[in-house]
Amino acid sequence: MSGNSSFDAIIIGGGHNGLVCANVLARKNKRVLICEARKECGGLVNNDITNYVPPVTSAVSSSIGGMQINYIPKTTIALSETGQHIRLVGNQHIDHKSISTFSSHDADRFNDFHEKMSKFSKTLGSFMMASPPRIMNNSFSDYFKLFKLGLNVRLLGKKNFNEFARMIGLNIADELEDNFENTLLQGLIAHDSVIGSNLGPRSPGSLINLLYRMAIHNNSLFGGIFQIEGGNDQFTKHLIEKCKSNNVKIKTSASVKNCIIENDCAVGVELNNGEKMYAKKIISNADPRSTYFSLLGSQNLDTDVKRKIKHHRSKGRVAKLILELDKLPSFNNCDDIDLDSRMVIAPSIDYIEETFNPSKFDKLSPEPTLEICVKKASNQNPKLDIQVQYAPYKTHQGWENIKESYVESIIRIISKYAPNINECIERKKLLTPDDIEAEYNVSGGHWHHGEIQIDQLFMMRPIPGASQYKTHLDGLFMCGAGTHPGGGLTGISGKNAAKAVLDDF
Amino acid sequence: MSQDLRYSALKKTPFHSRTSLASRTNKYYNWNGYTVPTEYSTTELEYTAARNGTSVMDLTPMGKYEITGVHAHQFVDYLVTRDLSEMKDNTVAYIIWCNEDGKVIDDGTIFKFSSTKFMLCCAVKIYNWLNDSAFGFDVTITDVTDTIAALAIQGPTSCSTLKKFGAIDLETLKPFEMREYKIDGLDILISRTGFTGDLGYELWTDPKNAETTWDNIEIAGKELKLRPFGMHALEMTRIEAGFIQTNTDFMAAEDSLRPTRMRSPYEIGMGWLVHLNKNSYFVGKKALKKEKEENTTERCLVGLDIDGDKPAHGSVIYNSKKEDIGIVTAALWSPIMKKNIALASLKRPYGIKIKENIFAEIYHPEELEYRKIWARCKVVKRQFFNPERRNKVPADLYE
Repeated sequence: MSGNSSFDAIIIGGGHNGLVCANVLARKNKRVLICEARKECGGLVNNDITNYVPPVTSAVSSSIGGMQINYIPKTTIALSETGQHIRLVGNQHIDHKSISTFSSHDADRFNDFHEKMSKFSKTLGSFMMASPPRIMNNSFSDYFKLFKLGLNVRLLGKKNFNEFARMIGLNIADELEDNFENTLLQGLIAHDSVIGSNLGPRSPGSLINLLYRMAIHNNSLFGGIFQIEGGNDQFTKHLIEKCKSNNVKIKTSASVKNCIIENDCAVGVELNNGEKMYAKKIISNADPRSTYFSLLGSQNLDTDVKRKIKHHRSKGRVAKLILELDKLPSFNNCDDIDLDSRMVIAPSIDYIEETFNPSKFDKLSPEPTLEICVKKASNQNPKLDIQVQYAPYKTHQGWENIKESYVESIIRIISKYAPNINECIERKKLLTPDDIEAEYNVSGGHWHHGEIQIDQLFMMRPIPGASQYKTHLDGLFMCGAGTHPGGGLTGISGKNAAKAVLDDF
Repeated sequence: MSQDLRYSALKKTPFHSRTSLASRTNKYYNWNGYTVPTEYSTTELEYTAARNGTSVMDLTPMGKYEITGVHAHQFVDYLVTRDLSEMKDNTVAYIIWCNEDGKVIDDGTIFKFSSTKFMLCCAVKIYNWLNDSAFGFDVTITDVTDTIAALAIQGPTSCSTLKKFGAIDLETLKPFEMREYKIDGLDILISRTGFTGDLGYELWTDPKNAETTWDNIEIAGKELKLRPFGMHALEMTRIEAGFIQTNTDFMAAEDSLRPTRMRSPYEIGMGWLVHLNKNSYFVGKKALKKEKEENTTERCLVGLDIDGDKPAHGSVIYNSKKEDIGIVTAALWSPIMKKNIALASLKRPYGIKIKENIFAEIYHPEELEYRKIWARCKVVKRQFFNPERRNKVPADLYE
């Protein structure tokens, strides 16, 4: 190993997982350096990208010495063109009442459905918090972990076990149509199942996406959705402060070119400006594709690893539209409090599926599915932050040629619900998946650094053989959302990765 | 060569008009989608030509891949276990390559024309493996199997035959070197390589030159005991030379269904081709390093000198307690050595530390009945036959 390692660990990328990982390591007296390519840390936890966050688990919070941030729970509104919106808060009684104004059948069903899904998401969640087992390892503890998951599933009882097995590969549309008659409610839940993914409601496997989402949102459909007081980047600010008090060194505008490899072991990083830094462990918060192909370099990878990373699906299909307003638009049949809610425009399963279809062929849908967040801050103009699904990673005509017309089609959709929207807009900014890729250094611009699907979860996340936060190169680890349990702004990947790194010291 | 595929599922090599003329037995087999003779007259005669005169074999079906591009040298060095960083232009190297688990996929030869142009030859098709491995390197892989005609010219009088054919100064060509010739206006590449363990050469040329080349070599070798030889005779010579054959002596890692059947280079006697101290990474390095460090090699491939004269085809090998310790992968009674020899895959420490009291159970077929023979074996060097003339420079010449 060359030179004196002035650090115990260098973390490449100061996203929230990198920051969590740094804090956990620093609290174990490790000297940590974070190299962040952008001018500021935070990655995708950023007011431009993120609208809502799940609560940080107590395990993550305690691993970094407690988090002092205030979460504000958010109501969800499924907007209807007729003004018959559904408002859901995550409270069983209130939601029951709210749904029963549309359909008493659905209201009763909703309780049962929620209970069942909640049970399954807890089972899944019990497996999500720890590092995944690695079956090729032949280690007892790994087999035990796997056995425990199997046991947890089995302990659900025979009926539930069969139901769980049925649901694992199921599409969410079938399940919703079996349970509910109200298309708006169906659309809303379907929207939450497929958001951030490359699946339509009728794609096999879209149901497990919802369970995954629930597992990180308090095992609830609508009860675990929050905003952070003072803006979502308070989360980042808080983590950076923690870093400071834990003596983590943060270097911004420090874009890492590649890992320095000596004797088939990662010993440092080289920045794009030629500067070299050495450490005992290198931890990448970058997505798996960048980690393997850029940091590690394909000339240092086995053929099979290259194949696996090439097959790793990480093309994002969510664009972000930010509308700066000079005044708030008035949404039909919504009062001021409603504007404070998460507003979803996904009126039916078919609507979402029709939006999804063209994206399969790298085309745009004229009627995208939207999640709207109104952001009001004192002495600032209000903003509409809109997650637009499905915006393909690449389009046939090229994004630059169709961005404007796409923005127009999004605004046209909103105007159906808020007729005066056009009069309110001052500025528009659309971030397409390839914009997100370029601006935030995330391959494919995927929220979760890789699809959340059964073949890319647990011990297969990101790829088999690299599932315990270790890459194929000794000394190089991964702590980003591409690792188990995945995206969703939980910080669990960062925390688990830190543990794996500590075990390796 | 164009042909009507309606009448033949298998392709014909550019030499087919000549090999079919030479075939007295009409025995063919399918090699990589080509039909080529297993035997022209009798295997024994062909074997004798290979060991005493000149033997000619149609090698065209062999997988041939051209690797070109600015990263060609770097890529080849990454692909194989051997350190090729110092490889010189116009030389050939024997190589093996592994998968990520350090299990051997195949062996072959690599020809270096320049740092931006190589040719890889091997028994099986590996285009996909090369292409997938090449991701991240600026190289182009071209399958040239069908566009290069190849002949093996092997045996003690092979150099004389080729000199008569027109290869000037060929005797000065060193083993594992190659040279480009223009003979009667035809561009022919000659390398001093082969699979018989004897003095021998391989010829590489455009398919349109194939028939003329064959005819002229036949004329040149008329007085030098030249004879075409088929796969069966080659099999005899390669066992004597101790060369391994993929999917015979070991299962190719990409082909074997059972993970326990895959073999690392150390398990098939190819450890000498693994350079763990190579500066750059190569496919399988991590796994091979681990195997070496943790000493987890389970098997070995050894030569056996077996009592008696009945070849031990497929025999199970036992220790003195009659415990199964391995299997014979290739065997023959060697006419030139006058020995009953075999290649065998044994479970370590047998073959490495324990070389005594090893027995082969031979079932010798005798007109619909088997005679069971319990034969004592001696572990010997795999290279049974290695004549001095094989590597001699200048090569032996005969009138």
